[in-house]
Amino acid sequence: MSLIDGIGPEAAPRARPAVASVKDLRVHFRSKVGVVHAVDGVSFDIGDGETLGLVGETGCGKSVTARSFLDLVPMPPGIKAGGAIEFRPHHTCPSCDGAGCETCDDSGRQAEPCDSCNGGGCEGCGHTGQRTIDLLEISEKDLQTIRGNRIAMIFQDPGKALNPALPIGEQVAEVFFQHRADDLLADAGASDGTEALGGALIQRKAGLKTSRIEDFLLSLPPLRGQRTKLMAAVQTRVAEALAETQIPNPRKVMDRYPHELSGGMRQRVMIAQAIACDPDLLIADEPTTALDVTVQARILELIRDLQQRHRTSVLYISHDLSLVKEVCDRVAVMYAGRIVESAATSSIFTDPHHPYTQGLLAAIPSANHERGRLVAIPGNVPELIDPPAACRFAGRCPYEAPACTAHDPLATTITANHEVACFIHHAPAGDEERPTWDRKVR
Amino acid sequence: MVDVPAGPAPARITDSAWRVRTRRGGELLMSLLKNPTTVAGLVFIVLLLGMAIFAPLIAEPNTPDAYQMPRDWGALAVPPGSPGHILGTTNVGGDVLYGVVWGARTSLRLSVIVVSLTVLIGVTVGSIAGFRGGKVDEILMRIVDVFLSIPELIFALAIAAVLGPSFRNIILALAVVFWVKYARIMRAQIIHVKENEYVDAARVIGDSPLRIYLKDILPNSITPVVVQATLDMGNIVLVGATLSFIGLSEAGIAEWGVLVSEGQSGISAGRWWSSTFPGMMVFLWALGFNLFGDGLRDVLDPKTESTR
Repeated sequence: MSLIDGIGPEAAPRARPAVASVKDLRVHFRSKVGVVHAVDGVSFDIGDGETLGLVGETGCGKSVTARSFLDLVPMPPGIKAGGAIEFRPHHTCPSCDGAGCETCDDSGRQAEPCDSCNGGGCEGCGHTGQRTIDLLEISEKDLQTIRGNRIAMIFQDPGKALNPALPIGEQVAEVFFQHRADDLLADAGASDGTEALGGALIQRKAGLKTSRIEDFLLSLPPLRGQRTKLMAAVQTRVAEALAETQIPNPRKVMDRYPHELSGGMRQRVMIAQAIACDPDLLIADEPTTALDVTVQARILELIRDLQQRHRTSVLYISHDLSLVKEVCDRVAVMYAGRIVESAATSSIFTDPHHPYTQGLLAAIPSANHERGRLVAIPGNVPELIDPPAACRFAGRCPYEAPACTAHDPLATTITANHEVACFIHHAPAGDEERPTWDRKVR
Repeated sequence: MVDVPAGPAPARITDSAWRVRTRRGGELLMSLLKNPTTVAGLVFIVLLLGMAIFAPLIAEPNTPDAYQMPRDWGALAVPPGSPGHILGTTNVGGDVLYGVVWGARTSLRLSVIVVSLTVLIGVTVGSIAGFRGGKVDEILMRIVDVFLSIPELIFALAIAAVLGPSFRNIILALAVVFWVKYARIMRAQIIHVKENEYVDAARVIGDSPLRIYLKDILPNSITPVVVQATLDMGNIVLVGATLSFIGLSEAGIAEWGVLVSEGQSGISAGRWWSSTFPGMMVFLWALGFNLFGDGLRDVLDPKTESTR
């Protein structure tokens, strides 16, 4: 957990702006009975190089939040009901060329300067001076250049996230063709567009733009040499990417089909594909849920290790608190489409402030627990169809007071880097009786 | 970057995708050949295709048009085993052997053209409907429903009759009738396949929708179409022969249905040969492709229980 020592409850405010900021994100779903407010006003920042854990039970909206980053929520039935996801893409640090220097904080990468103010700070970039893209607003075409390149994603079930009809090597190669065509051409020594026809064709091939006929032309003797070089360049890159996720014998694995690999291996392939282009943000949507515990530990170690080396920011989604405790610098707890509490990992586990977080932590069974019934939070998650303006946890909360059903608690900063959305910590508008810690018994 | 263990020579690596595919194709063939009925189907198909391909060697082509039956007016309705006419002749002096052999060519032409046309149309329509969804899907599928509501033989018969009796019109009529099945299959497959997480994963690495369709969706949804196409190779010849039998193709053409029809009036008089041999050919053709298609389905789609 020593990746970013600067981030913690006692640390000074972050000097470098966040890689991504979610601002009041609202994603709703149309259903037969009404509009489901699956994500309803979620805001958080993912700091540069930080691992943020997004925790919550099934159906709380954490996956929808993550999928909104890359426009993977099907619309319809989904509705973008508001908010913004600001993303600040990075490039290789110009002053040290990736080696790591003072200006880039030894990470070798730096945020791109804002187009309109060139680093000065203006309205468009939120006075950060960095190029800021609203992922909810940009076109599908622009998004395609970001997907897999600046933001990558790992899915829950690696068995389902790989195309069963394609060998592993071809699937990983896809990322390079899609985003690193120029590098491939340089590797193959064909970047200067050598012979007129061949050069143009090989460039199209590297960008995956060739038709069947062009492919056939490339397979004929005069151009075959160039094609071979290009394919060899891709293969080398793919092998490197696979080797980086500690896949033994990458050249062999490339020829395998997904069904011939174990779950752990498949997830390694997914990770290799995700980090292939050195993204700024990696979204991991419960990456170890489908794996057994021993494999899970190794995959977590791998993600952490890669994140340290590449200085990638990670949004880690999980319902497993013990995992989150291991991997994350900061944790945001979601409940019923809202973030109820967010803080540094250490403070959320030692000093939880929201009654829901407290309930979650109390529900973790441990070895020194007495035998008997497991602890659970009473009641059920509320229906999210047209919810009233009230605390969503009201009804299950042991500290509930009249204020909780009449007003909506806002996230309030209680100590540096610790936000809680509960009336215990800030008074509601009006005169209703507010909840207190001593109101335990209802 | 991490050190990569030195791999084999580049030339081999480059072709690895091709090699992997061939390996997979080989495995597929091996499991196909394990099933005796599939092998039987394959044998029928190979024999009939061989007959079609080597037709000019077995029966000397008629001039000027090889697909027209030669007429021997001196030997009307002679029984099998007669000199010059091993399988006998029809009432109007057509050599049955010639009809059987060149009829295989006609059938091959018919089934290949109709199957390619219908697969092309069906897959395109089904893909658009399944991939786009919404209103487009609704409209296309209602059109398909209209086509499906009419029994295929009667529908094909009506179209061929309206267009006038000729072999080309039979091809057209069959193409119009048979594409809907493929559209249905393809749409269902695509709707199912596009929900897979690897489609999302492909979007996540920045693939365009067309690329995703070609790389992830089409290869994973085409199998039932391949199976159906194999079965239809047989069915289409059966339906085509039926239409010819009724008299919807040109008279005198070397086609099994026409031949059966020519011999039909002689059956009661004991002249069985001119209907039986071409009839058997139709039977073997349909049987061969059906057996093979069934075997193919068992191998390609392990989820469907074998009924045997």
